[in-house]
Amino acid sequence: MKSGIRLTRLWAFFATLAIILSYSGLALAVDDGARAYWKGRDGTNVVSFQYLNLNMKASGTQQFDPSHFIYPNADTKANVMIANFARHLTLFNRASSLAINVAGGSVDLDANTNNVPSGFLPPQVTPGTSLSQSASGFADPSVQFNVNLFGTSQLKSTVDLVNYEPTLTLDAAVLLAVPIGQYNKNDLVNMGLNRWYGRLGLPIKYHFGAFAPGYRSSFELTPSVWIFAENDDFMGQKLENDPLWQIEAHLTHDFTRSFFGSLDLLYRSGFQSEINGINVGDKLAVGNLGFTLNYQVTDSLTMRTSYSSNVFGDSDLNSSLIRIQIVYAWHRLMENMKKLKQGH
Amino acid sequence: MEIHIITRIIAAVAIRAKEGFTMAGPNIRGGLVSLLIALAGLSITGTDAAAQPNKRPNFLLIVADDLGYSDLGSYGGEINTPVLDNLAQKGVRYTNFYVSPTCSVTRSMLLSGTDNHVAGLGNMGELNAPNQVGKPGYEGVLNKRVATVAELLRDNGYHTYMAGKWHLGLKPDQIPHARGFERDFSLLVGGGSHFDDQWNVEWQIPKAPYTEDGRPLEKLPKGFYSTKHYTDKTIQFIEEGRQDGKPFFAYMAFTAPHGPLHLPDDWLRRYKNRYDEGWDGIRQQRLARMQELGIVDQGANAADRLYFLPRSTALTPAVRVMQGRKMELYAGMVEYMDDQIGRVFDYLKKIGEYDNTVVIFISDNGAEGNDLRAMVAGQVGSMGFLHAMNNFAEDGHNSLGRKGTYAEYGPAWAQVSMAPFRIYKGWVSEGGIRSPLIVSGPGVQGAGKLNKEAILHVMDIVPTVLELAGIQHPSTYKGREIAPVQGKSWVGMLAGRTQSPRTSDDWLGWELFNNRAIRQGDWKISLLYRPFGTYDWQLFNLAEDPGEQYDLSDKFPEKKKKLVALWDEYVQMNGVIIGERSPFERARKALPDAVPEFDSYPPFRGLEALPYKKLIELMNQ
Repeated sequence: MKSGIRLTRLWAFFATLAIILSYSGLALAVDDGARAYWKGRDGTNVVSFQYLNLNMKASGTQQFDPSHFIYPNADTKANVMIANFARHLTLFNRASSLAINVAGGSVDLDANTNNVPSGFLPPQVTPGTSLSQSASGFADPSVQFNVNLFGTSQLKSTVDLVNYEPTLTLDAAVLLAVPIGQYNKNDLVNMGLNRWYGRLGLPIKYHFGAFAPGYRSSFELTPSVWIFAENDDFMGQKLENDPLWQIEAHLTHDFTRSFFGSLDLLYRSGFQSEINGINVGDKLAVGNLGFTLNYQVTDSLTMRTSYSSNVFGDSDLNSSLIRIQIVYAWHRLMENMKKLKQGH
Repeated sequence: MEIHIITRIIAAVAIRAKEGFTMAGPNIRGGLVSLLIALAGLSITGTDAAAQPNKRPNFLLIVADDLGYSDLGSYGGEINTPVLDNLAQKGVRYTNFYVSPTCSVTRSMLLSGTDNHVAGLGNMGELNAPNQVGKPGYEGVLNKRVATVAELLRDNGYHTYMAGKWHLGLKPDQIPHARGFERDFSLLVGGGSHFDDQWNVEWQIPKAPYTEDGRPLEKLPKGFYSTKHYTDKTIQFIEEGRQDGKPFFAYMAFTAPHGPLHLPDDWLRRYKNRYDEGWDGIRQQRLARMQELGIVDQGANAADRLYFLPRSTALTPAVRVMQGRKMELYAGMVEYMDDQIGRVFDYLKKIGEYDNTVVIFISDNGAEGNDLRAMVAGQVGSMGFLHAMNNFAEDGHNSLGRKGTYAEYGPAWAQVSMAPFRIYKGWVSEGGIRSPLIVSGPGVQGAGKLNKEAILHVMDIVPTVLELAGIQHPSTYKGREIAPVQGKSWVGMLAGRTQSPRTSDDWLGWELFNNRAIRQGDWKISLLYRPFGTYDWQLFNLAEDPGEQYDLSDKFPEKKKKLVALWDEYVQMNGVIIGERSPFERARKALPDAVPEFDSYPPFRGLEALPYKKLIELMNQ
């Protein structure tokens, strides 16, 4: 017979801090990720590192992401590291967060320049020849602000967190990228875009079942639009792009208390390019499907991996993405509780 | 036809004899009626009832499982129980109604009308001590020394139905269908999942066995939820049986709010944050309401918070919320049960039988303060632990109440449920054996009245029902001698002719797990294992001290001596065997240490945190 209060439950409850955000940061070719807009307690800090391996093969005149024009018969490989810091806040009595993203890495391009508009070729490249080019360095850093509009009021106290059982939630997310990343105006490929750009999104979530580790399931839908300023020095020319419309969706489910999986979808369309006011290439229409596996190693540490590939939309582009991510989260109270539990 | 007429005459005489001799004691009544029966050379048969179906009342016996004394609104509780509160307004509430400290023991007396040590549940079958095994009265099932009220009613023209928990035997000759219930949907064991996953609490019988109409169920219907299904079945049985016009006896043995605390999804948050303030505040509010309602006398001593329970204001708000969640679930189960009882009442009204139905509502024992999950699964590596791993390991805060979880609300909330009494289920203190009782229907006078005078016992229900049905409890049943009823009929009391079926000389006795008690009038002696008792007799005056806080042994030694002598009589009368072992023999070690702070100690500290601003204000005064 055991009676009395099991104060150790306090520890278990703090483990629910694992509903930390795992902001995937931004790499424009990838999605935010499953459960990216889950909320944490005010004051929770989250650091995330992720490695992206991106492979693309374009058989037509295609664009693979908002930053780059891709050449027919081009093979592109990118290895990118993204560091992200997010802090959970309370704004207007709503759960909110502010995230800073820094990315860096390298991109390698092999392309055939047949049928490539001359304006898209670097000065030293002869039309009709093959082209190999690489870029490395930092990409454009960005800042993202997220605030809940519906379904998640403030999570300032432990009590708020204990009582937190979201069902339908709606957020607003605003991202702004600062064009200070590596950019060489004479190169086809760069890590930075040399222009301001940003995104407006409305992340929506619907949670099924108990909001408790081991039970949680969610359907997440984030419609958003990327908007780009012009790049006034794209190999000496002016590059403009239409907005890029994007739908990101995830169906997530807890398999155990510390392990969840997700089916992922990312669909993008729009982004018509113009060089000096003339349409170039086609509009983008790419749909990626993939999956994510996420394992919470400790109350603070989470590891995640995902894979996706475009399976519908434009048929002249094949791409695949592998992502490995580590997320570490902490909160002052949680750290102090650990100290107290461990004693002196 | 002639036989029927004679039988009716005997029944009528028997009723008049009982009414006339209510206070004269059972021997006179029984003797007279037996004589009449013997003269007639007949036994009462069921054909009589069929001949005049509307002359006798229906019975709806509703038993809640582990419901606390003060949980219902009509007993001072904050839980929303409008149906039972209305029943209380239509009928009568009683404040001194007693049951046994645990469920199967109570049920044996409820159905037999005699002491549990006679009826086969001298101890819970699962917990018989070695020296009790195989002894008469310790069969662990409802034995054949008794006839059930269902058997007697069925044989005398009643339809007999049961839906819910049996816990009085598993074998074919022990199950409800074999013990008098024509129709049944029964959980045969003590408790388990309320859902269709069907796990049992005990690892020895990992899957809870159910029967329907006497046949074992392979599996529960999909979507099963205990309280709802038992209600559906009760209504179904009554509906399917009513064509022949016979009266019915329906036994609704709910398994709510027994742990695990389970609720349908749409009821999970019905009491969201209702109990965040903690147990102390809620208990104080209940006590105040109980005084307003007259359930508890002004100035009567309520039991102190048990020594190992912290005052709730010493807990962080988050912990209070987490602890409160369990009480939310418990309250939800109670209200859900109330709601379902309302469905049965509505149905009875619809078919025109409500006004001809005697409704009796009780709980089977005190509220559950023990941690049954820990008792089953507390030892890592044990079979119980493995069983829990397979079936009910989940206990996340937000998942509690759902399938696969096992929440109980613990001793602090159990004390709230049992306010103003001491301890909880399992113990023979008032917190283990006092139950709410509401009786309503034909033959019940004094709508809305609160009866505080009568000292009543669950054994009384059989003679009461039989008398209202015009049936005499026989001395033999199917060729075997059966134990006489020890309970006392309430018919005179219900009719308003007396305040109580007991005189000041009458007494009641209890023994379970070697804890013992005797109550006579306002006085009670009890002997409890440590740490709740001294394992010696203690004397309490329940009129002044319902919380059993002050041992008056030294002040009234003669009174104590007299009650101890009654205990000896109780042992002799019922064949009580003190067990070599008891589940509570290690209670002192198993319970947590005392909390360091009590309400009045250390004296300087207040009960609430003092914000610095307020402190400065105080310092400047």
